[in-house]
Amino acid sequence: MRHDRLLAYAMILPVVAAVLAFVVGPTYNVATLSLTKVVMGMERGFGTFDNFRALTADPVFWLVMKNTAIWILGGTVLCVTVGLAVGTFLALDSRLTGWLRALILLPWVIPDVVTAMAWKWMLHGQVGIIGQTLQDTGLTDRPISFLGDPQLVMWTLVVVLIWRKMPLVALILCAAIRSVPDDQLEAARMDGANAWERFRFVTIPNIAFSLTAVTVISMIWITAEFALPWIMTGGGPANASQIMATYIYQQSFEFFNWGVASAMSVINLLMLVSIVALYLYINRRSWASEGSQ
Amino acid sequence: MNEQPRVLYWTMLSLIGLVIAVYILFPVFWLFLASFKTQAELAQLPINFWPQTPTLDAYAALFSDTHQKGQLLDWPRLIGNSFFIAVTSTIIVLIFGTFAGYAFARLQFPGRDLILGGLLISRMFQGAALLLPTYRLMSMIGLQDSLIGLVLLYSAFGLPFATWIIASSLREIPRELEESAMMDGASRLQSMVLVVLPLATPALITAAMWHFVGAWSEFAFASILLESNENKTVTIGLASFVELFTLEFQYVGAAATIVALPIMLVFFFGQRYFTRGLLAGAVKG
Repeated sequence: MRHDRLLAYAMILPVVAAVLAFVVGPTYNVATLSLTKVVMGMERGFGTFDNFRALTADPVFWLVMKNTAIWILGGTVLCVTVGLAVGTFLALDSRLTGWLRALILLPWVIPDVVTAMAWKWMLHGQVGIIGQTLQDTGLTDRPISFLGDPQLVMWTLVVVLIWRKMPLVALILCAAIRSVPDDQLEAARMDGANAWERFRFVTIPNIAFSLTAVTVISMIWITAEFALPWIMTGGGPANASQIMATYIYQQSFEFFNWGVASAMSVINLLMLVSIVALYLYINRRSWASEGSQ
Repeated sequence: MNEQPRVLYWTMLSLIGLVIAVYILFPVFWLFLASFKTQAELAQLPINFWPQTPTLDAYAALFSDTHQKGQLLDWPRLIGNSFFIAVTSTIIVLIFGTFAGYAFARLQFPGRDLILGGLLISRMFQGAALLLPTYRLMSMIGLQDSLIGLVLLYSAFGLPFATWIIASSLREIPRELEESAMMDGASRLQSMVLVVLPLATPALITAAMWHFVGAWSEFAFASILLESNENKTVTIGLASFVELFTLEFQYVGAAATIVALPIMLVFFFGQRYFTRGLLAGAVKG
């Protein structure tokens, strides 16, 4: 037994060491950096909130917070709503929906750099097929600059985000809907419930757990997404689509404002911690059952 | 059900299905079509759906050494780098993920569930907040602008999930098989490698595919760490077209096709394993 214990620690050592070195260590490092005065890449004194003061004094900061709220909250709500509609459709029994269940993960596996380029091309202001189609059908009479218009750009990015993230939400909800007991649906039908009532009062309560879990997980996925907004707009025009992730990247590697960048990184981490805590709270039963195995 | 509602139902089903299929496939397909068009055709209105004079010029340009249009990167080299990083880190993840997965599934030790939970939660923090400290760490240990550095980083990022998926699959394999092998005189390691692992092959394939796709597609960390042109990867190559954005979408289309191709092959040939991994991955973030 004692031998087994040593063997076990030896076996998990590389994984634990890797995570400590490349996730836990850097997290600690960025937290201390955010509390350090940094001048021209040189560290000058620990224990100051200067970086956070500089960050919140940046007029772009509140714009970034507003855009991030649209990105994460708008993205999550739309992702789950569209995902529920598509998932309900995919749950129908038919050969066609069977094929679609296989096909629908394509946006999820395609590299996000490719996704960004594909949509950038479709949304092109002059020769993009989306703008052209809108003009051809008479819905608008002049070209629309989806990515160049500060009013439109954030929501345009959210639409692309939905394309990328919705399929897995749909598939998870589809699996949950398909496992709703048939006898409950049948009983509701016998009692005269129509399709909407069966969905509302039988299906939804049965998938409530999956629905909540997938909502919180979507928030984590969307918070982690960087390449899509960065390649499509780079935060522009004039910061109109600057979100936390792109702001951190720009401040770190284009402006070399490491103090401000680390302060924003810490805010981003605190936000993640609260979402993850929410996730663990919702999932407490499933984690407990895992432990007892 | 009588005939009429059934036909109506079938028509509606097909129609909605078709809309979803077009929505899913169109963006990627449209960029793929652009790779066969000429520059003149791409700039022309009204838009032609199919290429008028299909050409492979864009692909030829990416693979030729006469760098056209400010295109400075050497694509055969980028492809080689991306394969090297993805394949090497997949092998590392499989080896160490198997050991750790076995320990979590089969051995009793204090802190087991807590450590596994901690590893899984660490995945949720692999985002933009780690860009700056990772850059500092890699510069400090001299692995910035190095393919080996990225291999290590991606392995560290990928190991928790691989460990978890392998551990979950090992839990379903009956202990008796191993125990009888050990009664016959096999050591624990021998019984693990010879008896248990062959039964866990599907989980190993799932973990490998999942990791390969993630490593091949990664952009953010590669773009901050790799500086010299001979070290860059395909995702950086594709993203670099943003800087020369005019209407040269035939090159973007060709490059995007090259980046997406290995992923599409993995996706279509490994569909079964892939879906399993995605659903499992989703449940645990």
